[in-house]
Parts: sequence; structure tokens; C-alpha cells
Amino acid sequence: MIVFADVTKRFGKKAVLDSISINIKKGDLLFITGPSGAGKTTLLKLIYCSERPDAGHITVADWEVSRLSQRGIPELRRNIGIIFQDFKLLPNRTVFDNVALALSIHGMNPGKIRHYVNEVLEEVKLMDKANLFPQFLSGGEQQRVVIARAMVSKPLVLLADEPTGDLDVDNAKAIMELFSKINGKGTTVLVATHDETLFQGSGYRVIYLNDHYIEKEYMG
Amino acid sequence: MKTVNSSNNIWLEVLRYSVKTAFKSIIHEKWINLLTVLTVSTGLTILSAFIMINTNVNSALQRWAKNFGVVVYLNEDASKEDEFILKKRFSEDADIENVNFVSKDRAFEEIKKTLGPNALILDVFNENPLPSSFEFRLKSNSLVPSVVKQKAAQIGQWPGVQEVQYGEKWLASLNTIVNAMKIVSIIFGTAIFIAVTFITYSTIRIFLHRRKEEIETLKLLGASRSFIRLPFLMEGLFIGTMGGALSSLAIFGLYSFTMYKMVEFLPAIRFIVSSLPLYVYLIIPAAGAAMSLAGSFMAIGKIRY
Repeated sequence: MIVFADVTKRFGKKAVLDSISINIKKGDLLFITGPSGAGKTTLLKLIYCSERPDAGHITVADWEVSRLSQRGIPELRRNIGIIFQDFKLLPNRTVFDNVALALSIHGMNPGKIRHYVNEVLEEVKLMDKANLFPQFLSGGEQQRVVIARAMVSKPLVLLADEPTGDLDVDNAKAIMELFSKINGKGTTVLVATHDETLFQGSGYRVIYLNDHYIEKEYMG
Repeated sequence: MKTVNSSNNIWLEVLRYSVKTAFKSIIHEKWINLLTVLTVSTGLTILSAFIMINTNVNSALQRWAKNFGVVVYLNEDASKEDEFILKKRFSEDADIENVNFVSKDRAFEEIKKTLGPNALILDVFNENPLPSSFEFRLKSNSLVPSVVKQKAAQIGQWPGVQEVQYGEKWLASLNTIVNAMKIVSIIFGTAIFIAVTFITYSTIRIFLHRRKEEIETLKLLGASRSFIRLPFLMEGLFIGTMGGALSSLAIFGLYSFTMYKMVEFLPAIRFIVSSLPLYVYLIIPAAGAAMSLAGSFMAIGKIRY
């Protein structure tokens, strides 16, 4: 599903990722971990074309991401659900509208949008908050809105960047359960996190990045 | 596992979304939108008023030009055959209309009629001193000084023709006025086009700046360029159309009010000053929409992912 072949990314002269090769199969749930500045976020950004590699090849499903034209980027991104570290929720739209936006972008009609959004809000247990604006929600609730927005279009791949950064243990656990559930439906899930408790004893594959390289790969 | 199926008619849904988003923004940013609409409307009203003045000046000139005549005086020894050939040539000329032959005798009778009781002075002449002539009018599209001058010179060379007379200075003045009006129209129209386009450009730039983060999020979620652009273009379209519609109303109101007030002092004004043709009242909003759309396009610029 996702292949990194000898991928190098530099910012200026400094390499953030150096000759990274990863092969992620369809339906995998995988953790990318490592200390701050190890390149976890950059690795995710390379997948959704927010950054371009300086060397090597990246493929996601049928997309040759490293060679994708500007015109091809929106279609790739519509097939990837992204959970941003800073949420990127629109403050002037309700929870419902924030989630619905992902489907409006797909050109879906309002009837279908209502059906899918209600379904996903039910799944993340936010149905009663559908008409509230994000600023009136707790951190954990906002995170669940972001997850709902990322999964509502049933993407091929789900990327999560530090999804439990500011959350307490219970909220973090609930979010991990959601990821397992999404993964159980066939979506490939990549979670970039420095929080080891998320994957310890999970049995999922873990890639440890350090000093721009893959230092180790193991089962959590 | 497949991503959700989009609607069969994606464009229709994107359009629906864009209209909804633009409408929300119009309400949300009502004051800046209102100000822009009024500014656009003022610009277009000035332009429309100018078009109305121009239309009236043009129609006055057209009426004036209808009386422009050319007189071709014949030689004393011009034969009947010369007269016949000249009449045929004038009749066949596409630029000439209302050809009228005035014989020596008729010319003499007419001058006698004009002089009335003073016609006695004509008795000093032993014989009729007036030449035969052809009088005709030139069609308005041929009233170009150089064309008329060339035609007069050409006719002057024809057998039997003694002299060709026409209002050369009058025609030159008419032509100068028409050309000046054309130049001023082009300059004025261009200035208003630039002004309206720039006003909309500035407003849309402000909206873009205010919604910068939203646009970034849309891009990350996979929104196409059209999806991001369309709401802004719709808003520009709304500004231009509303500005144009207000301008049409203003110019119609201004005309009606002026006529209502002026007709008391100058009743004939209703036959002299005409309003804009009906279609122009529809063209003004369309022109406003086109100008604002151009401004919006420029404001959005290139969207890079």
C-alpha cells in the first residue's frame, strides 16, 4: 500500500530523513516513533505530498507520490484521512459542518453527507455535540472530531500525527480503540507518536526513527 | 475497502457548496460587501450616465447629419444625355440617397418664390442666370470628411459638372465631435473597468487573507482548485451583479427624476433627450459581473498544494 524506497529529505543542508525504505502492506496498523526531530511528521507529510523527497521514490496505492503533479495532489489527499497534530478544525463551523467538509470536497450530495456524518459522529460518540463549535469542546472531543473528519470518507490510508499529544490516559485509550476499529475495517493506519504506551504490548509493527535513520523495527 | 462514492454530478454539488459558502460569506462580511457593492455601483452609474449623454449627443448628431446635403451644379452646355448619365450614376451609388434634379427653370421659380415681393430685382437679368443642379444626401455612415471630399472631387471630374458644393467645415466639425466622443468613451470605459476590477480584487484579497487557514485546511483535505476558488468567484460575481443592478436602478431613477423636473420648464425635452435602450439596463449588471469576476480571478491567483 505504501512504499518508501531510499527516500531522503533535506531541509537546507540538513537531512531529516536519510535513505529510508519502508514497505507497509494494505490493512496494516503501524507506529512510527522516535525522539522529537527524528522526522516522524516529515515522513507523514511526504505521504500526503505536503513535502517532496529530495531522493528516492514513494508510492501510495497506485500513486507515484514522489512524481505526482500539482494537479494530482487533491485526488491523492481525498484518499488519505489525516489527523493533524494541531487539529486544523475550522472555528466558524460546527462539529457537523467540519466533518461534512471532507465529504463536500468529494462532491457528495447533502442527503448522503448527512447520513455518513451522522454515522461517523455516532461512532466517535459526538452525536450530541454535532451543532457545537469546536472551541466549546474539550481537547479529547476535538481530537475525536478530527478523527471523524478523517474517517468519514472511508479513506484507503489514515495518518495520525501525535494523536494523543495532550490527552489523558482514558482519552488516549479511547482514541487508540478507534484506530483499531478503523483498521479492522481494512484501512491502513499510520500513527506517528512519541508516546510508547500507545503501542507497548499492542502487537502492532513499530518503526523507531533516530538521527534520520530507521534505527530499529519491532512488534509492539 | 473503497473510499466513499461521490455524487454522480460532482460539479453540481461543488456548485451548490460554492453558492452556499459564498452566500454565508456575503452575510458574514456584510459591511465590506455592501461597501464594495456601493463603490462598484457608483463607478458603473458614472459610466452609465456618460453612456446616456453619449447616446443623446450621438442621436442629436445623427439628426443633424440627416440634413447634410450635396449640390452638384451643371455646366451651361450640359446636354440631356449628361444629365441622364449623372442621374443614373447618383442613383446607383450606395452612399447617395434622395437624389433630386433641379432644372434651371425650377431653380429660378424657387428663388422667385423665396424673394417674394423682392423678386423684381431678378428683372435685371435678361435671361435665367441659374444653372441646373442635382441635390442629394449622403448616408450617415459615409459622412467622413475624407470620403466626402474624395467623392466631391470625383463628381467634379464628370462630364457636365461645373461645381460640387457641400458644407466642408460643418462636416469637419461634426466629425471632430464624433471622434472626440469615441476617444473619451474608450478612456472613460477603460478607467471604470480598471477601477471596478481593482475594487473587487482588493475585497477578494481581504477575504482570501481572512480565510487563509481555512484554505490551507481545504487543500490538506484534498479540495480541488475549483472547489477552493468557486466560492470567491461567486462572491465577486455577486458584488459585480449587485453593483450593476443598483447602477441600472440609479440611472433609470436619475433619468426619470430629471425628466420629471425639466419637463415643466422645457416641455420639448422629452422629444430631445432619450433614455438608454432597455437592453443597456441589462448589460450594466452583466458588465459589472464580468469586471468583478476578472478582479476575483486576479485576486485568487494560482493555488499551489
